[in-house]
Amino acid sequence: MAFFVSLLAHTVQAGTPLLLGTVGEIYAERSGVLNLGVEGMMAMGALTAFTTSFYTGNIGLALALAMVAGALVSLVHAFLSITMRANQIVSGLAITILGLGLSGFLGKPMIGMTVPHLASFPIPILAEIPIVGPIFFSQDVLVYASILLALVLWFVLFKTRLGLNTRSVGENPAMADSLGLNVYLIRYVCVLLGGVMAGLAGAYLSLLYTPLWIEGMTAGKGWIVIALTIFATWNPLRALLGAYLFGGVIALQFRLQAIGIGTQAPQFLLMLPYLTTIVALVLISVEAVRRRMGMPAALGLPYVRGES
Amino acid sequence: MKSPRLIFEKRLTTSRTITIAVPVISLVLGFLSAAPLFLAVGVNPILAYRQVLGVFLNVDGLTESFTRGIPLLLASVGLCLPFKMNFWNIGAEGQLFMGAFGATAIVFLLPDSPAFVLLGSMMIAGFIFGGLFGLIPGYLKARLETNEVLTTLMLNFAAILWVDYLVYGPWRDPKGFGFPLTPMFPPNARLPWIPGTRIHTGLIVGLVCAGLVYVFLARTKWGYELKVTGESRLAAKYAGIDYVKLTLLAMFISGGLAGLAGMGLVSGIVLRLRHGISPGYGFSAIIIAWLARLNPLAAVPVSILFGGLLVAGDALQIGLGLAFATTSVFQALILLFVVGAEVLTRYKVALTWE
Repeated sequence: MAFFVSLLAHTVQAGTPLLLGTVGEIYAERSGVLNLGVEGMMAMGALTAFTTSFYTGNIGLALALAMVAGALVSLVHAFLSITMRANQIVSGLAITILGLGLSGFLGKPMIGMTVPHLASFPIPILAEIPIVGPIFFSQDVLVYASILLALVLWFVLFKTRLGLNTRSVGENPAMADSLGLNVYLIRYVCVLLGGVMAGLAGAYLSLLYTPLWIEGMTAGKGWIVIALTIFATWNPLRALLGAYLFGGVIALQFRLQAIGIGTQAPQFLLMLPYLTTIVALVLISVEAVRRRMGMPAALGLPYVRGES
Repeated sequence: MKSPRLIFEKRLTTSRTITIAVPVISLVLGFLSAAPLFLAVGVNPILAYRQVLGVFLNVDGLTESFTRGIPLLLASVGLCLPFKMNFWNIGAEGQLFMGAFGATAIVFLLPDSPAFVLLGSMMIAGFIFGGLFGLIPGYLKARLETNEVLTTLMLNFAAILWVDYLVYGPWRDPKGFGFPLTPMFPPNARLPWIPGTRIHTGLIVGLVCAGLVYVFLARTKWGYELKVTGESRLAAKYAGIDYVKLTLLAMFISGGLAGLAGMGLVSGIVLRLRHGISPGYGFSAIIIAWLARLNPLAAVPVSILFGGLLVAGDALQIGLGLAFATTSVFQALILLFVVGAEVLTRYKVALTWE
C-alpha cells in the first residue's frame, strides 16, 4: 500500500511539469500556432530558475524570471511564425535547439551545483485524508498551482468570450479578422502564454524535481508535452488526465528501478515514456482519422490578410 | 499616432541571386549574433571567431571538417526527400544509430570475411536497418495520420537507448575496462582512407549519394511526385499519386542514408560501436537540409561547413573552456535567421511608418 501511495505521489510530481507545459501549448495551438520549441523554452526556464535560486535563494523571483525566460524564447517563435510567416515546424525546431544549446552554454558553471529543495506545503485537514491526502494534498505549491491553472484556463477557453475568440482565431482566422478580432495580437498573446507556462514547467524541473543542475535535464519532456496536447485533444481538462498518466509512467520507471527491477538492462525501462508516447499517439490517431477531434483547423498556417 | 508596419508584397518569381543570398547572409548573421553570448560568458568574441575561422585555414582542420561532414552529408541528403513532400523526419539521429547497430552486427557475424565483402555487407546492413527504422513512422503517418514529428523524435530516444543497452550489456568489450564500447573492429571492417588524404572513403559514398538523390529528385517520376505532394497533398491525391507508397519510399531512402552515415561512423572514424556514437549529427542534418534549400548538391558544401563548425566547437571547448553546447547555439542561430529570412524569397518586405 505504501508503495502505491508513494508511487502515485511521485506520479503527481512527475506529471506537474507536463501539465504546465501542455496547458500552455494548448493555448498556442488553439490560436493556430504550432510551437515545437517547448523543450527549448523549458530548458531555459529550468536554467533561469536554477541560477536565480542559486544566487539569490529567492524562490518567488526564480519562478518569475523562469516565466520571463520562457516568454522571451517564445517571442522569437511568435515573431518568426506570426509576423514573418515562417515555417512553424522549422522555427519551433530552431527554438528547441537554441534553448537546449543556450542552457548548456550559459549553464556550464552550474553543472553539479545544488539548490535547496522547495519544501512541500501540506494543506491543513485535506492532507490528513488517507491515501488521497498524501497523493494530492501534501505536495508543493506548484502542484496546486498547476491544477488550479489547468482548471482556470479550461474555463477561460471554453466558457468565456476571450476563449471563444482564441478558438475562432485558430479555426478560421479570416472570419475572425472580418469580425474585428486582432488575429496577430491574439496569436502573440497565446504563444507568449505557452512560453510562460513552459518556463514554469522548466522551473519545476530544476527547483523541485531534480534540484541539481544537469545539462539536458528536460530529457524530452517538452516533446512529450506536444504529444500530450494532441492526446488531450486540445482540452486543458483532459491534459490533467494525460499529464498524470504520463507522470505515472515516469514514476513507475523510477520506482521499478529503485526496487531493483531491470537493473540488468535499465535502458528498456528508460524507453518506457517514449514508447508510451508513440503508442498513445497511434491510439489517438486511429480515432482521429475518422473525426479530427478538437484540432484547430488553421493550426500551423500563417495568417496573411486577404490571401486565404 | 504613427507606428512601424511591415508591408508584404508577394513575389511572382524568385531570382537566383535571392535564392543564394538569403542563406549565405543568414549564415553570416547567425554566426555574428553569437557575439553577445560570448561576452556573457566572459570570452572575447574576436578570439572565439578566430578559433572558428582557424579551423578552415589549415590542413588538419580541413581534413577533420571533411571527416565530420561525411555523416552530416549522408543524413542531410536523405532528409531532402521526406522534407520535399512535407514529411518532417526529425528521426535521422535514431536512424543513424540503427544503421551503426546493423553495421556492427555484421562485424560480429562475419568477422573473417575479406574486406570488400565485409564492408559491402556493413553498408547494406546499415542502409537497411536505418531504412526499416524510418519505415515505422512513415507507415504510421501514411496509414493513420500519426504525427511524424513526434514519432520520429521519440524513436531517436529509443534507438540511442537500444545501442546503449548493447554496449553496456551483451556487446561490451570484456577487455574494455568497463567502458561502454564494443571491441575494436578488425582491419577488414575499417573503411580505407582516400589515397593521399586522411579522409575515409565514406566521403566518396556521400558524394555519390548526393548526386543520385539529386537526379532522383530532378529527373524521376517519384521526385516529381514528392514535389507535387509537398505543394499540396490534395492536388497530389487528385493526380493519382499514392501517398502511402511515396511516404514509405521517401522514408526508406532517408532512413537508409542516415543508417549509412551511422555505418561510416563506426567503420570510418570510431572503429567500434560505443555509447553516444553521434553528438547529434542527425539533428544538424535537419538544419543543413534546410539551409541547402533541400538541394542535395548544395548540401555538400554546407555539410563540410557544418563539419568545420563541429571541429570549431571542440576547439572552443578545449581552447576557451566553452561548453559543448556552443555549436548547438551557432547552429540554432543560423537556422533562426534562415527561417526568418525565408520570407524574403517569397515576399518583398518593406518597413513603413503609418
